[in-house]
Amino acid sequence: MIALCLSAVDDVGRDRSLTVAAQNGATSIRFTELPSRDRQGAVAASRLATQLPILVTALILAVPAAIAAPKRPVYVGVKACGVCHDGASMGNQYSKWLLSKHARGYSALMKPESREITKISGLRGDPWKEPVCLACHSTASTAEEWEKDDTFKPEDGLQCEACHGPGSEYMAEDVMRNRAEAIRNGLKLPTKEHCLGCHIEKGSHVNVIKNSTIDIDKVFPQIQHPLPKPSSISAMPAGRGGNFIGSRACGACHKGKEHGHQYDVWRMSLHARAWAVLSTPRALEIAAEKKLATEPRAAAECLACHAAGAEIEEGVGCEACHGAGKNYSTNAVMRNREAAKKAGLRTPSKDGCNHCHRESHGKTFNLDAAWAAIAHPTKLAPPKPEPQYKTPLNMTFRPRSTELWVALEAAGAVGIVDTATQRKVAEIPTGGAATDVAFTPDGHRAFVSNRQDDTVSVIDTATRKVTHTLKVGDEPHGVLTDAQGKYLYVLNTASDDIYIYDAVTLKWIKKLSAGRSPWSLALSPNGATILVSNTLSHITGLRQPLRSEITFIDTARAVVTDRAMVRDSNLITGIAWHPSGQYALATLNRTKNLVPMTRLMQGWTISNGLAIVWADGATDQVLLDTPGMGFADATDVTFTPDGRYALATSSGTNRVAVIDCAKLVQLIKSTSPEDRKNVLPNHLGKSAAFIVKYLPVLSSPRGITVSPDGAAAYVANAIDDSISVIHLKTLDPSTRIDLGGAKVITKQRFGEKVFHSANITFRRQFSCHSCHPDGHVDGLTYDIEADGVGVSPVENRTLRGILDTAPFKWEGTNPTLTRQCGPRLSIFFTRLQPFTPVELDALDYYITSIPRPPNRYHTPGEEYTPAQRRGKLIFERTTTADGRAIPPEGRCLNCHMPPYFTTRKTFDVGTQQALDRTGKFDTPHLNNVYDSAPYLHNGMADTLEQIWTVYNPYDKHGFTNDLTKDQLNDLIEYIKTL
Amino acid sequence: MKQKSIAAFLITAALCFAQAPPAAKPKLPFVYTKWKQFTKADGLPNEHVFAVKSDGPRLWVGTEGGLALIDKKSGKVTKVWTEADGLPWRAVSGIDINHKTGEVWLSLFGGGLARFSGGRFDHWHQMNSGIVNDVAYGVAVENDNIWVATTAGASRFNTVSGEWTIYTEKNAPMEEIWNYGVDYRDGKVHLAVWGSGVLEFDVASSRWKDYLDPDGEMEIDLYRDDGIVHVITTAAKYVDKTLWVSSYFGACRYDGRNWRGYYNMDSGNPSDFINNLAARSANEAWFATDKGVGAIMDAASNTWVTYTRDPKSNTGKAVVSRDKTVLETIEMGLNLPNNYIVSADVDGNDVFLGTSKGLAWGIGDGYYAGLKERPKQVAEIHGAAK
Repeated sequence: MIALCLSAVDDVGRDRSLTVAAQNGATSIRFTELPSRDRQGAVAASRLATQLPILVTALILAVPAAIAAPKRPVYVGVKACGVCHDGASMGNQYSKWLLSKHARGYSALMKPESREITKISGLRGDPWKEPVCLACHSTASTAEEWEKDDTFKPEDGLQCEACHGPGSEYMAEDVMRNRAEAIRNGLKLPTKEHCLGCHIEKGSHVNVIKNSTIDIDKVFPQIQHPLPKPSSISAMPAGRGGNFIGSRACGACHKGKEHGHQYDVWRMSLHARAWAVLSTPRALEIAAEKKLATEPRAAAECLACHAAGAEIEEGVGCEACHGAGKNYSTNAVMRNREAAKKAGLRTPSKDGCNHCHRESHGKTFNLDAAWAAIAHPTKLAPPKPEPQYKTPLNMTFRPRSTELWVALEAAGAVGIVDTATQRKVAEIPTGGAATDVAFTPDGHRAFVSNRQDDTVSVIDTATRKVTHTLKVGDEPHGVLTDAQGKYLYVLNTASDDIYIYDAVTLKWIKKLSAGRSPWSLALSPNGATILVSNTLSHITGLRQPLRSEITFIDTARAVVTDRAMVRDSNLITGIAWHPSGQYALATLNRTKNLVPMTRLMQGWTISNGLAIVWADGATDQVLLDTPGMGFADATDVTFTPDGRYALATSSGTNRVAVIDCAKLVQLIKSTSPEDRKNVLPNHLGKSAAFIVKYLPVLSSPRGITVSPDGAAAYVANAIDDSISVIHLKTLDPSTRIDLGGAKVITKQRFGEKVFHSANITFRRQFSCHSCHPDGHVDGLTYDIEADGVGVSPVENRTLRGILDTAPFKWEGTNPTLTRQCGPRLSIFFTRLQPFTPVELDALDYYITSIPRPPNRYHTPGEEYTPAQRRGKLIFERTTTADGRAIPPEGRCLNCHMPPYFTTRKTFDVGTQQALDRTGKFDTPHLNNVYDSAPYLHNGMADTLEQIWTVYNPYDKHGFTNDLTKDQLNDLIEYIKTL
Repeated sequence: MKQKSIAAFLITAALCFAQAPPAAKPKLPFVYTKWKQFTKADGLPNEHVFAVKSDGPRLWVGTEGGLALIDKKSGKVTKVWTEADGLPWRAVSGIDINHKTGEVWLSLFGGGLARFSGGRFDHWHQMNSGIVNDVAYGVAVENDNIWVATTAGASRFNTVSGEWTIYTEKNAPMEEIWNYGVDYRDGKVHLAVWGSGVLEFDVASSRWKDYLDPDGEMEIDLYRDDGIVHVITTAAKYVDKTLWVSSYFGACRYDGRNWRGYYNMDSGNPSDFINNLAARSANEAWFATDKGVGAIMDAASNTWVTYTRDPKSNTGKAVVSRDKTVLETIEMGLNLPNNYIVSADVDGNDVFLGTSKGLAWGIGDGYYAGLKERPKQVAEIHGAAK
């Protein structure tokens, strides 16, 4: 076989190679794109062409076919557009852009206001890295690297291609001169609707930046940039050249908070616009006043101060003040101040500024103020410290010690309390949202789940150092080892599975399927069985009663052996075995979501209690409520070592219920099977038979545990940053151990307290948390209003990322969160006086700032999987599989526009059911949509697939019925990345 | 006297030497003579046994009317699941076990895919998931992935990421997309595809390799042992780096270097219409045909044991043959509930065969691999030799 490889440059400037192979009389031609490192070799190989005329002939024949291979539109960057689109004969389009805020969109993300916006939006990262921010503040934020040419720079903000689409295929002049041809090649002509994708009012921005809302009708004409007719391209003046390297080269290093965002500071400054302003009418006026012979951009007098950078369009760049950078710009020289000076780095002086600024066209120039304004120190002032809270959640005694280890969610740490002295003695940072803690049986190792980071920290308890960090599943919650210390079990509450590690080698062994949202684990006294509580009910279908799972794991084989079902319940969280091993108790809610919520007045909407899980898998239920007082959000449960008492926390009412276990068992066993099924789970009066006492503790009690000697119970008061000690002999809960959280209560912290408190509901039946556990969803469909049973049921929606998605409700009738959480809540849910304005303000602030997990299917900057890439094309397509145009209302992007993938408008997507009062529903945002099943307004779609396979028969919910099954799979794989 | 003695000694010696050496007993394969049968009377929900899978002390049986679990120790059907018991679809066409997690995976003929774990069935079908089609013929566990052979291609479900990948003519060398069987072992997934032979997916490289009938003839086998016998395949099992293939037109074996075809006319396979197969080793495989079971017990010598039942007398027989020469015929009590065999599995010494009239469990007490001189003929053991 003879083979020849040649390189070529295609019409979008991308290197391609052609491999021509001849074997057995047949010639084959392969066309590939070359990585840059292969180019040299390819060119060298091309020399062979002169020696192989036959193959060259084949190659020549092949080139047109190769070039005609499917093109990939790539973003070429604003500068590539500006080469032609500037100058008076082109309407100064590039300069207009340079003068616009769009050009500074990316740089604005380094401003303190941006930081605050991310905070109140629940975003965790830096604004300049957050996909939601970048979607509007930069261009091609969801594009992969191959979609960006070398000339494309993200720091150019909102560039031409953000509105007009990637330009590689239409940028050639002959194409651009033919509007229809340009459109065929990808040129987009945006409308006001496109602008509103970003410029629609956002709560996050309105709260921080006054006047952030624009009137699109007023602004749209301002941003227009028509070409003169006729238009002609004129060459852009050359830059200074020589040893000048340009501000972009400086910016390659002088960016980010490590360098004080210096490049962004410059881009935000008037200096960066100095050349562009020469195209403005005012510049022309000044030129006329000065009687210049040419237009300002051609006048040396103007350019001396307005184009002092390496490249003409950068205006007054870094080198205008610091000198030409070629000889000092290398890292080695720049890090040596003396060497840099010798190489030409200048230290600017105020005199230098005066060189230009003393003649300021009639304006007053305050040199000192300007000097301060233009300052761009490398080291930024440290941000103002914020109060640091602890938020204790779950606790475990280190074996054979008096140390109580406490997972501190807000601190991202585990605290160690010496129960002998009742003081916190240490705090070990672990990771974001530390949630649970477990030990090996010998107590030498501790494991702490970090829910926010998807990790488990492994701690050497002797040195109190984190020795390993395990990457686990999505949002790890409960952790536990078996009795032998062989396996570590990690519950991934967002991916509904259980990871099992070798507790010694820390190697991942396997994954078990849990119920929905596995939460806590309990090891049976004989060590044979682990029970796992699951907070969410299985998806049972529209208007079907709830069914939640207790998962049984055989520790000998580490496999699931049984799944006990707890009827009509959800939010099963805490779980513990009675020392006898005969049964376990688990806390639960009984949510009556199938009847109107206003039934609250009739006595119940959500009741709270316990599941009794017998060793054989049978279950019973009892309530911890009383007729006049709910036990809202029963959260955790534990036993005294002698098995006499069980203790359960109510995070909504700040109480602990002390349960007489013998009486509880007696009650159950003396009740008929029928009543055990129907009466005990619902009877508010039965708790009197087994509750010894309700003990008051502090704000939002969550985890509870009893010391090994049985002397005291310890309660984690999450929003009080403390532990209550209950002396079990006297049942006195008055001792408080302070965990060292901030004493000042911020609005956000106050809002968190309001969110978790049941004080707002009639008879304290539930809190906001009861339906929105941890600010997310309970996966249920509710019949809310008193308009008849079953009328207009609506699926619960996540609070994560809610701030910028107004209006609220599936029917889009509540314009603000204040209304949603204020009067509406009072009328339909809580039936008490609404929140006070202060409470409501704080609650809204807290809700909007609930942290959002990162997307688990795609990390910004990383490549998409092949399926995701194909799905993206489908999501953005405008034509059907057979080439017909899809009407705008049938395109995904028409309603699901980035960054939240919602236009925040109501649409009829053909999902109205018989009992729905309207067919028009709010467009939900799609961020992390994979973790909020079920779907559609009433939750009738169990999975994303069903949205289209079952509930879109007439293509009203996007044009999808032409898709093959594999294409639909691809579409869903992409949607999961949003 | 002395002379007489010498003469007698010489005569005796001459007689001894004149006697032929004792004939060596032929080396023969193990023959299953102990069988148990399971029908509806024994608790099966249905007697059309589409799938059978041995799982240590348990035996899972997939039928047209539900799933059954047999406890091997007690030899009884201990549990049955029908749709009323939560089984998502009544016809269970394939079963595989994830031994790491204990999960039982079921292909459902018309119902897609199900997982049985801890008493809970999870169901994936073409409406609620990415599975390509609900008419599923087989299932295989490959690491954290589940493969399903369906009538419209193969689906691979990543249980960690939740991603579904569909393999059809678009992205695999699948000339037809009707997937009859799927199996995973030793890093390779094999698909038996109606009209597309056998497709091999190498997990490490994600590359496909196809095994097609080289002569391209549907009706005849032009060149013996040139490749797969026919492109209409029903099962493919890869054991000890050897690929066993069944088709509706014969069976074959590929050791990585040479192909060998097996037809009814030159082997102990009772029919060329083969629904399924189970392979124990590179040397032994069991073929589920429409006329009984053909077990090649020693591939090296082409030695087979053919099991059939007499539909009239409720008795069975096994015929040991080599290159179509019958070496031994063993009459026995009932072996197979029916000669139409649909499914097969081997585990340890035992063999399990699903038929259209119930399940047969061949108990391999004293099983040995390959051939050996038996101390006694099997017939002698059972007193029914011919």
